[in-house]
Amino acid sequence: MIRLPSFPVLVLLAALAIVCAALPWMAGPYLVKFVTRVLATAIFVMSLDLLIGVTGLVSFGHAAWFGLGAYAVWFVTPAYEAADLPKALGAAVALAGLGAAVVGAFAVRTRGFYFIMVTLAASQMIFALFHDTRIAGGSDGASIDVKPALEIAGRTVLDFQSRNTLLWTALGLTVVTLVGLLVLTRSRFGRILQGLKANETRMNALGFDGARYKWASFVISGMVAGLGGAIYASIDGFVPPEILGWRESGLAIMMVVLGGVGTLWGSIVGALIYALAEEGLKSAAIVGSAVSDHWPIAMGVFLIAAVLGAPKGLGGLMPVRAARPWAAPDGGTAEERSSGGGPKLEVSGLSRRFGGLTAVDGVTVTFEPNRIHAVIGPNGAGKTTFTNLITGALEVSGGTIKLSGADITGYSAHAKARQGIGRSFQRTNVLPAFTVAENCAIAAQARGLAGASRADEAAAVARALAALGLVDRADRVVSTLSHGEQRQLEIAMLIASGAKLLMLDEPLAGTGPEETQRVTALLKELARDHTILIIEHDMDAIFACADTITVLVNGRLIAHGSADEIRRDAKVREAYLGRFAGVEEEAA
Amino acid sequence: MDLVLVQIFNGIQYGFLIFLAASGLTLVFGILGVINLAHGSFYMLGAYLALTLTQLTGDVFLAVAIGIPLAVAFGAAIEWAFVRHLYARDHLQQVLLTFALILIFNEVQRIGWGSYPHGVPAPSYLSGSVRLADGLTYPVYRLALTAICAALAVAMFLVIQKTRIGRLIRAGESNREMTELLGFDATRLYRLVFAAGTALAALAGMLAAPVESVYPGIGERVLIISFVVVVIGGIGSIRGAFLGAIAIGIADALGKVFLPNLAGVVVYALMASVLVVRPGGLFGRAVR
Repeated sequence: MIRLPSFPVLVLLAALAIVCAALPWMAGPYLVKFVTRVLATAIFVMSLDLLIGVTGLVSFGHAAWFGLGAYAVWFVTPAYEAADLPKALGAAVALAGLGAAVVGAFAVRTRGFYFIMVTLAASQMIFALFHDTRIAGGSDGASIDVKPALEIAGRTVLDFQSRNTLLWTALGLTVVTLVGLLVLTRSRFGRILQGLKANETRMNALGFDGARYKWASFVISGMVAGLGGAIYASIDGFVPPEILGWRESGLAIMMVVLGGVGTLWGSIVGALIYALAEEGLKSAAIVGSAVSDHWPIAMGVFLIAAVLGAPKGLGGLMPVRAARPWAAPDGGTAEERSSGGGPKLEVSGLSRRFGGLTAVDGVTVTFEPNRIHAVIGPNGAGKTTFTNLITGALEVSGGTIKLSGADITGYSAHAKARQGIGRSFQRTNVLPAFTVAENCAIAAQARGLAGASRADEAAAVARALAALGLVDRADRVVSTLSHGEQRQLEIAMLIASGAKLLMLDEPLAGTGPEETQRVTALLKELARDHTILIIEHDMDAIFACADTITVLVNGRLIAHGSADEIRRDAKVREAYLGRFAGVEEEAA
Repeated sequence: MDLVLVQIFNGIQYGFLIFLAASGLTLVFGILGVINLAHGSFYMLGAYLALTLTQLTGDVFLAVAIGIPLAVAFGAAIEWAFVRHLYARDHLQQVLLTFALILIFNEVQRIGWGSYPHGVPAPSYLSGSVRLADGLTYPVYRLALTAICAALAVAMFLVIQKTRIGRLIRAGESNREMTELLGFDATRLYRLVFAAGTALAALAGMLAAPVESVYPGIGERVLIISFVVVVIGGIGSIRGAFLGAIAIGIADALGKVFLPNLAGVVVYALMASVLVVRPGGLFGRAVR
């Protein structure tokens, strides 16, 4: 989870702000413009950190929104007159947000490298549009005759024609942006964005529609970038099309990394360091003409050294504020159980084909509520595919899935999760950079957007931690937990999420005998108000705790019944010869 | 319609050149897992090598013969000095380090060759034009260039499909971790692939030099267009890069005829439409 800046960082930022504010009395116009440019860039770079550091989307076309914001000021400025300031800023935010909304709708469907490339391509399209056509001055750029001003009742309150006013406004907006983005990322909405960065599969399985949240964060960050662009356009009153291009986008990524990804305040430092480095390396008086004549080489070397030497950026060198410790809510919530039982799951004719291979072949079975059901079968029997079909991770080729009588066959993974299906994965799937309590909180939030209060959320977290015996580890960062503890956390998250049908893919894999006993006892306890479906290889444990056992072989259901029925089943024995306790004696 | 026909020829020829550059990029990303923004700089390097070596030797093909080993050595050196540190890093740092390399290469270019465009002459025996139809002539060098690129494409295909090193490349492309676990010397394979990718980009730059003038920003244009090709074709797919490159070449050339103002938008629009239908590109494996 992203933390608030620590005390030394706050001191540093405050000192920077004071120097900026006092600059007009300390330095000449050149430096004032220089710092204003840094501030406009800082707003832009912070918005990019919202994407990269918070949501985990590396955009290589972010300059497009910065540039659109700058062009928007030109669009609303009449000839030889000042534009109304709120209108200019509003237009910048709106135009950038609109562009980001359209591009984002496509871009969030892709991941990783493709996302980088789609955003790059989109920004290059916008660049080509402004560079090659005469929409706004073409390749010559667009000139703003008179910079925006704010008039209230006939009096000019803020006038961007004044260098100092612009500086102070930019400073104010930088502070507002930093505070606003920090509040946003630490809100419940921001927590979802961070969850998506950490583990999108898990978030989808919890019931969050990842694409929608990514889109929202893309649009918000585009709007903030547009605000930075509006300030930038007001500095020289000139907008070159290159401002939209990929070099600007690349530089912004560079500044995010220089300052420290995911800190937000680091972006301000990154923008400043980069600008100072460029200014210093270009100045013959400081570094000598041999370097300043070829400053890009020195800049390149500096950046390579920064990437290889300090991969976490400057933000990574500063102390981090500790997470607020988790506190159990007042009241005896640990005993209180959610009402209602588990749902009934009916699967009929369920099939899935991969090309010529039929992994699940016409399986029809009903899982009664409030029981522990086990699905077993040899390797390659289609158990995991079966789970993936029910949870929506895979699309169904044929058949229907009904949950408590309602047909949910075509629902996506997150929609099914919203219906109360929770799953654990074969390979443990939690949010590694979050604490144990935060993991449970985000799971509780999955059902909370519909209306659960913070108190309900806290109660759900307390209940889940208590059920799995994780209370004393609530503040541990998950990546420091043992494998067994992480598996328990995954079940705790399912409980916190309020899921009623628990699908557990090998919950006992890699656990010792004592832990196995504890988990099976817990499952029996949970079955009082949940329906549980386990896929497991530990036959002893299965036969000890499962109410029904379903046997899959080659994608087909060959038996379904109680443990005793399955033990006696001839077909099962044939498929599993020698694997069950007691089979040898009977055969002998 | 003659103009359209000529532009289609130009588009195919441009597509072949882009294929050479993009195939190197797609190999490096598919096998090494590195996003190499400096790939365009290798194209630029090739173009300027062709300029200097042609001045020295008098023939662009001699320049190519000398230039390819130089480019291979250069690629291997860059891999050793910088790129190998990136294998374990995330995309962000790969983008940054190779972006920094662009800054350096561009400045080195400016120091060595200045900011003005240069021309490289086509060899005398390939100068002039042939008559393809009534009133339709086409430069011989461009035809020869298309033929050479086509031959190279076939050769590359054969190497990848039929040889042992090709099989290793295909294995690395489809599952990098597994290939390493099987015990192949990843260090050598990676250096080889990066050097080959560098040489392919440089070769494209060298061959293109007599067709287009040699100028400072040349590498960046090729870089962006190569990325578009790689994404259209699907990362790591040579076949996809080939189809993508030809499609982009023709789309770009026709765009210049029919939508002169929006020519810059056409190729990106093509890429966007491909991605809407197939988010992993034409021949992409699972999106990573």
